[in-house]
Amino acid sequence: MDDKYSSNVISGGKLGRVEVPNARLTRYIVLLLLTKLLKALGIFESYDLLKVVHVVQFLFILKLGCAVILLFFQKPFSSGKMVAKRQWIRILKHAVISSVISLLGFFGLTLCGPLRTLLLFEHSDLVVISLLSVLFTNSGGGPSKTRGAAFFIIAVVCLLLFDNDDLMAKMAEHPEGHHDSALTHALYTGISFLGVADHKGGVVLLVLALCLKVAFHTHSRKLSVEIGGAKRLYALSNLVSSVVLLPWVIVLSSTTESKVESWSSLALPFALIVFSVMVLDFYVESICTAKLEALRCARYGSACLFLSGLLLANFWTHPLTDQLRAMSKSGQQASTEHVLSGGVLVSACFFVMADSILSSPSEKGQKGTLVGYSPEGMPLYNLMGDALQHSSQSLPRFIKDSLKQILEEYDSRQIFYFLCLNLAFTFVELFYGVWTNSLGLISDGFHMLFDCSALVLGLFAALMTRWKWLDGFLILSGFINGLFLMVIAFFVFVESVSRLIDPPNINTVMLAPVSVGGLLVNLVGICAFSHAHSHGASKGSCSSHEHGHSHHGHSHSHGHGHSHSPGGRSMNANMRGVFLHVLADTMGSVGVIISTVLISQFGWLIADPICSLFIATLIFLSVIPLLKDACEVLLLRTPPEQEKDLNFALEKVQKIEGVLSYRDPHFWRHSASVIAGTIHLQIMSDVVEQRVIQQVTAVLKDAGVNNLTVQVEKEAYFQHMSGLSTGFHEVLAMTQQMESMKYYKDGTCIM
Amino acid sequence: MVAVDVINFKDSDTTIHRKKQETDTYVLGTIHPFRKTHKSILGKFIQEFNLVSSDRRSWKILLFGVLNVICTACLLTWCNSTNSMALTAYTYLTIFDLFSLITCLISSWVSMKKPSQVFSFGFDRFEVLSVFASTVLVQLGALFILKESVERFMEQPEVHTGRLLVGTFVALFFNLLTLLSVKNKPFVYVSEAASTSWLQEHVADLSRSLCGIIPALSSFLLPRMNPFVLINLAGAFALGITYMLIEINNYNAVDTASAMAIALMTFGTMYPMSVYSGKVLLQTTPSHVIGQLDKLLREVSTLDGVLEVRNEHFWTIGFGALAGSVHVRIRRDANEQMVLAHVTNRLHTLVSTLTVQIFKDDWSRPLLVSSVLPAGTHSLSDYIGPSGFLGPSPPPEFSFNTPGRNIQPVVLSSTQQHRPYSLGLAYGSSPYAGMLGQGVGLGMGARMPSVQGYRTSFSAAPQRYGSNPLPSQMNQYRP
Repeated sequence: MDDKYSSNVISGGKLGRVEVPNARLTRYIVLLLLTKLLKALGIFESYDLLKVVHVVQFLFILKLGCAVILLFFQKPFSSGKMVAKRQWIRILKHAVISSVISLLGFFGLTLCGPLRTLLLFEHSDLVVISLLSVLFTNSGGGPSKTRGAAFFIIAVVCLLLFDNDDLMAKMAEHPEGHHDSALTHALYTGISFLGVADHKGGVVLLVLALCLKVAFHTHSRKLSVEIGGAKRLYALSNLVSSVVLLPWVIVLSSTTESKVESWSSLALPFALIVFSVMVLDFYVESICTAKLEALRCARYGSACLFLSGLLLANFWTHPLTDQLRAMSKSGQQASTEHVLSGGVLVSACFFVMADSILSSPSEKGQKGTLVGYSPEGMPLYNLMGDALQHSSQSLPRFIKDSLKQILEEYDSRQIFYFLCLNLAFTFVELFYGVWTNSLGLISDGFHMLFDCSALVLGLFAALMTRWKWLDGFLILSGFINGLFLMVIAFFVFVESVSRLIDPPNINTVMLAPVSVGGLLVNLVGICAFSHAHSHGASKGSCSSHEHGHSHHGHSHSHGHGHSHSPGGRSMNANMRGVFLHVLADTMGSVGVIISTVLISQFGWLIADPICSLFIATLIFLSVIPLLKDACEVLLLRTPPEQEKDLNFALEKVQKIEGVLSYRDPHFWRHSASVIAGTIHLQIMSDVVEQRVIQQVTAVLKDAGVNNLTVQVEKEAYFQHMSGLSTGFHEVLAMTQQMESMKYYKDGTCIM
Repeated sequence: MVAVDVINFKDSDTTIHRKKQETDTYVLGTIHPFRKTHKSILGKFIQEFNLVSSDRRSWKILLFGVLNVICTACLLTWCNSTNSMALTAYTYLTIFDLFSLITCLISSWVSMKKPSQVFSFGFDRFEVLSVFASTVLVQLGALFILKESVERFMEQPEVHTGRLLVGTFVALFFNLLTLLSVKNKPFVYVSEAASTSWLQEHVADLSRSLCGIIPALSSFLLPRMNPFVLINLAGAFALGITYMLIEINNYNAVDTASAMAIALMTFGTMYPMSVYSGKVLLQTTPSHVIGQLDKLLREVSTLDGVLEVRNEHFWTIGFGALAGSVHVRIRRDANEQMVLAHVTNRLHTLVSTLTVQIFKDDWSRPLLVSSVLPAGTHSLSDYIGPSGFLGPSPPPEFSFNTPGRNIQPVVLSSTQQHRPYSLGLAYGSSPYAGMLGQGVGLGMGARMPSVQGYRTSFSAAPQRYGSNPLPSQMNQYRP
């Protein structure tokens, strides 16, 4: 009793949503569940009806029936304020779009069957919106939402891939008589153009329609406020859309002969569908959203819908349900029923989980950044920062900015143009491969795409340098590119060895033009990049490359080979990586051309693996210098080309007047243009420190060190140190001790 | 496959070559001709290898390495015979284990080596580079798997399930055995220091909600999971599902899908680690010391005579030891050696390899006041420092050649100005007790007694400044 009042609002967790006790809500939940069950029933009915009634006619009847009922209940004309002319136009638009979406939905129903339609189409707006926010924004709301999105995607993929419904395949042949109208025919041809089976096309169609529906609902919210309530808008919109559909229906029924024997027998099913799918669902949903929360409503509703859909799918062909079904008499139609398959079951489970996760309220609040502490010691957070940052950088603007940055720099511009060329070639190849149904071309296209990722990395590195003043990243990206090439060489090697043992028969017809095209593209790249290198400080890449694979025996003495180009060698570690990539691709194309010629002329099947073996070795050898240089920089090695100069400079330093000795000389290449160094000098006590610093800096600058830190120590320093601490030598001893201790208590040293 | 090929290093190439040789057993010896031309390097390699193998601890690693090679070869043949992409993706994790064993060997080699002239910072970086290389290589392997899987979606070949489950369990058992029995220092450090992977986050989220239902599991589930164990288990789980579905329904496409899932999980697990080790390689200031460093630098800038701290650059050499260089601009009449000693003393607690350059404007111009104050005559206020001048903004992670970063934030000035005198003194003397203990932590236990001893020898002095609760460091310079 006491703690109810004593605890403050925040620590007691009382701030936030007020939970209504479940008992009061039970009737709404039961109502919702019943409605959803009825809706599932209605959709199963409408699937049966759609076998005989044309989609447009069907939709017209639904809209009309719904409009009549709603006019009766809602009285949109007599109640509320007048609807202006401008608003009528907007209602017309609303009606047209809503009927298009419903048409898509019901067409998807004919393709996929009722259960799959339920699973795909009947998601709450909230679920879809949170799914999209996970997919396309960073502020998704924690890992659980991400998991929900992943489940959703898995479920859709399950329906697409693992739902091998053989009855669907039968329908996919779709005899020409099946198409009743131009509309369905257009949709069919559209789907078959995509190259997927009908039911998969239906899945894609339904997902599209779902996204459209959500966008439409969100968009029409404003209109519903203007009109005076969602119910009024719904009634008016249904009326208008039935009016819009009327001419089409008249034309249809006059031109095509109907399959329906007696409309009167269909009256009852139609009434059921209108009632359950269009009217009851709408009303109950709006009531439950008001009484329950929207999230809870969505969760219970969709779960119930999916489960009842599964249940009905199981029993729909059962004799018990025959009396419910409108078209039970036609025996042959029962065979084209969309049956339950494992894939559907799995995806239904995933859909249920995804919906329950995505519609659960996110527990975490906003993510704030810690600003500091209040005088009482409570942490203070800034919640605004992230939101502002997100809104300031829109995606198109970001792309535009980075494009501008890419095009400013010479190197990145080269890479970018070449990447575009490569991608264009790849897509041409891919499309041609799909067109001619040649698997070799498609896989080659994917291989090219794989290679492009190295270019993207190079481009990214070139861009990174400008964003974050990260010079060192170029070297790291060169290193990664080198590793990438190693991996490629390794896989090519393994592949060719396995082919050497068992040479496969190769179809050489397609290979030659593709490889010639690839060769041309890569030659352009080589020209561009070698040009870039001659623009730079040196021709490091070219010379090092030759160095790499023509006389690699001398590579241990390469310090001399490159001494004429200090700084230029590591400067373009990134560009070198990209260049080597292009070179490797070119060698690949040449190898393919040679082996094609050999195979087609002499029938030497073994030529292909030997060629690729050779190429793999070449790639491997040409990458070694790049990797070695990158490693040297990353390991903070003293730059080899400066080594001699540095030794000489250190000797000179020792001869400077007043310098007693030096210790801890460290010199390393920090980034392409920066060679950093630190040195400690001991000098006599009567020398001015700044003069010594000046001299030492000058001497070492001559040796190439352009970022130097000199610590000048006199005897007084050691006296101060021993005064400040337990003595400098003891400090030294202790540091060494610390280092040895580090290996036992790792991580505790620094933290 | 690792083969980092740094052929020309004077005395360091050997680890790399060991790496190469170990991997070559299955790389089929691409570089054999290459190595024959360098007999001397091979000799050096053998010498270094003997150095490492003289330690008993590395025998176990070598044993596991040999076992791993056998296991990997076995798995690769099974991959070939089952034609399963998912098993191949899982085998890459075994190959990654091989890399991690090699990294382990390198780290034990590094601990034996002293810094040479060429590698003046020591060989700690080899450890970092090898961690980086192995994580990146595994990610590239995963990329390759992704590419192959996309190609397989076009035309799904049949997968034979005969050896699939056997292979899975062999790989899982072996991976877990290696992970749990070999103490892999660098990878343990990286996996703890790097940010969590998405796989870990999801498992943590799931287990948190599970612990809401069954609280008894919380001691087992709630601590941070080892990412390697996690990915091995998750991969085995995916393979189990694949086996089941192929056996029951002959869904061959599941194999490709689970290969993609394993590849994505590999990406997720390895990416934070490669980012962490890549940041070390890029010589950035590790984020967890930025706050501490910032505090120290602010203290340094309040020392007497210090005008500005600039060009500060702090980075980790290996996993742990911090190195740094800093330029300090001081007043023309300040004593350089005194400031140097104080700055070094402050920063030395955190930065083990430190270089401080003292910089004076117009030093050649003769001073107006007497040049150097005798040490004993420093007044108390000298050690309070100019209160208006502020410490630099937090050292940016990438801090070479970034002048202008050190423009002081105006907001903080008020707190500095209001600081009472006695507080300033407490600041000054803190390195003796608080800073040392806090900065160095457990490793410093041994030196504490000596500090104490030193302090007691001067214990008579502090009372001279009655208002000051802590002994001023000034006392210690009194003759």
